[in-house]
Amino acid sequence: MADESVAPPPSVSSSKPTCCIVIGMAGSGKTVLVQRLTTYVQENNLPSYVLNLDPAVKKLPYGANIDIRDTVDYKEVMKQYQLGPNGGILTSLNLFATRFDQVMNFVEKRADSLKHIFLDTPGQIEIFTWSASGAIITETLASSIPTVLVFVIDTPRTSSPITFMSNMMYACSIMYKTKLPLIIAFNKTDIMSHEFALNWIRDFDSFEVALNQEKSYMSTLTRSMSFALDEFYKNIRCVGISAVTGEGMDDFFAAVASATEEYNRVYRPHLQARIQARQQQQQEQQAQDLERLSEDLKQSKGERVIVSQRRRGALEDELDDQDAEGEEQEEEEEEIDEEEKREYEELMQYLRSRDNAAS
Amino acid sequence: MSKFAQFVIGPAGSGKSTYCSTIQQHCDTIGRTVHVVNLDPAAEHFNYPVSIDIRDLISLEDAMEEMEYGPNGGLVFCMEYLIQNMDWLHEQLGDFSEDYLIFDCPGQIELYSHIPVMRTLVDHLQQWGYRLCAVYLIDSIFITDSTKFISGALTCLSAMVQLELPHINILTKCDLVQRKALSRFFDPDIGQLVEELNDETHGNFVALNRAIGQLLEEYSMVSFLPFNIKDTESVEAVLSHVDHAIQWGEDKEVHIPHDHEPDLDGTEFEHQGD
Repeated sequence: MADESVAPPPSVSSSKPTCCIVIGMAGSGKTVLVQRLTTYVQENNLPSYVLNLDPAVKKLPYGANIDIRDTVDYKEVMKQYQLGPNGGILTSLNLFATRFDQVMNFVEKRADSLKHIFLDTPGQIEIFTWSASGAIITETLASSIPTVLVFVIDTPRTSSPITFMSNMMYACSIMYKTKLPLIIAFNKTDIMSHEFALNWIRDFDSFEVALNQEKSYMSTLTRSMSFALDEFYKNIRCVGISAVTGEGMDDFFAAVASATEEYNRVYRPHLQARIQARQQQQQEQQAQDLERLSEDLKQSKGERVIVSQRRRGALEDELDDQDAEGEEQEEEEEEIDEEEKREYEELMQYLRSRDNAAS
Repeated sequence: MSKFAQFVIGPAGSGKSTYCSTIQQHCDTIGRTVHVVNLDPAAEHFNYPVSIDIRDLISLEDAMEEMEYGPNGGLVFCMEYLIQNMDWLHEQLGDFSEDYLIFDCPGQIELYSHIPVMRTLVDHLQQWGYRLCAVYLIDSIFITDSTKFISGALTCLSAMVQLELPHINILTKCDLVQRKALSRFFDPDIGQLVEELNDETHGNFVALNRAIGQLLEEYSMVSFLPFNIKDTESVEAVLSHVDHAIQWGEDKEVHIPHDHEPDLDGTEFEHQGD
């Protein structure tokens, strides 16, 4: 009976567009990058869709298909909820996330004709990476279309090995949180070449040399960290780009294509397996509930019954689990009862044997 | 004599201000003097008495209005302005030179890993003789499974490597989550954690999972303490960990000898008996 209700796992066809979620620290150049990406796709005739999720941006240099500012006014949110700018942005994003299913409808309607979807996120990185709404938006997207993360780094600002490592640690943290393919975009190569970063990523020893030049008492920690990061680098793609001049765009789209391929090959089956496991769990639960219901019906012979004995037992067990101390006490009481019973029987036996002896 | 301070950091909404007010109130009850310094120019409401406030120097609103910055640029401007006016902070701190301080810091990770302002601030404080401990807060609601836990631990590491301070990680809002689900992360068994990670992630991650597991094992500092504002014991435990990290109280114990307390109690009881 339960098998009829098996819903097919959400299908992800490879003809669907790739969604690029652009994240990065404030000032790393996310918005300019999205602008560059939109011009690139226009020049190359790649139909795309652009979503802006930053409610605080004043002027968008590109035309967004969906703009959070059309639905939420973050200044108004700040006023109404008496929040600071941070809370205002976060609440606006939360409000937007509650309507994200509508956004998905739009996106899915156009999906077949699109090549890319770009998502510009709020300036402060944690508002997207460490918030419930950011997680909801990411997961909703990733469960229906191939999604990759683009972590934008301000190259001139990461030229110190410690800052570089700190940024890489953060990138790694995001990868674990979202479980999606990650592209690291070293932005602003027009100001400073990203060669040094690539060198550090490719060659463990060269990073060691750079670290040794830093005066840092945590050098053993940083060394162990760079060792762990060495494994991290094997799971990511790095490109150097300049959002301002347009340098490195071909490399960037090549990385997106290869990350999409990886998503379809590795991430999607894994994601589906997890979704399936979750569905199976739910179905088993439902089947159990149904079984219990039919048993209740059988027992009550069609009469009204509120909670079956078994169900009540299960409920009580749950209550006991929550209150483990109470359970222990009960067990102790039971033990005492049994002990008393035994003592009583022994006493009776003794009395009987004494009576026998007397007679 | 050295001075002592906690540096409270963590993402926006992780409960920094609540942490500060809870610790402040707790210290108040046990008769310890603690002062809270607000370093967040965007803060508006406080549920603790603010001893020093960065907004006396500059407020985010002014910066945004006068410099025509967005919230981000405004914040960075404020913090850089503070660095340029360290004399102001030094002067303000002078009033509390004997006291234990708690710095309520702004939440933006950019200030720690992108721009060297926080590092500069820490260096200055250390030059002025402060012993500092970074207290990194993470909202326990986000730590739902092992991958999220690793993600949190890595953000802590990312801040740790920048600030180079003794570091204590705290899971806040423990009163809102089931303790059972969380408790395995307080002192995680690395082997088990890596196995769970291998289940959660796909094959390509196995080597990385192991490497990160090793890193966490070698540096056991990436463990978390629970913080529950409704549970005084957890507040005490956190406070004593921080105190231990900055060695607070080692020279204080002479002034408040513990041996005398039972005597005092004893005399009190005698009086009551009379």
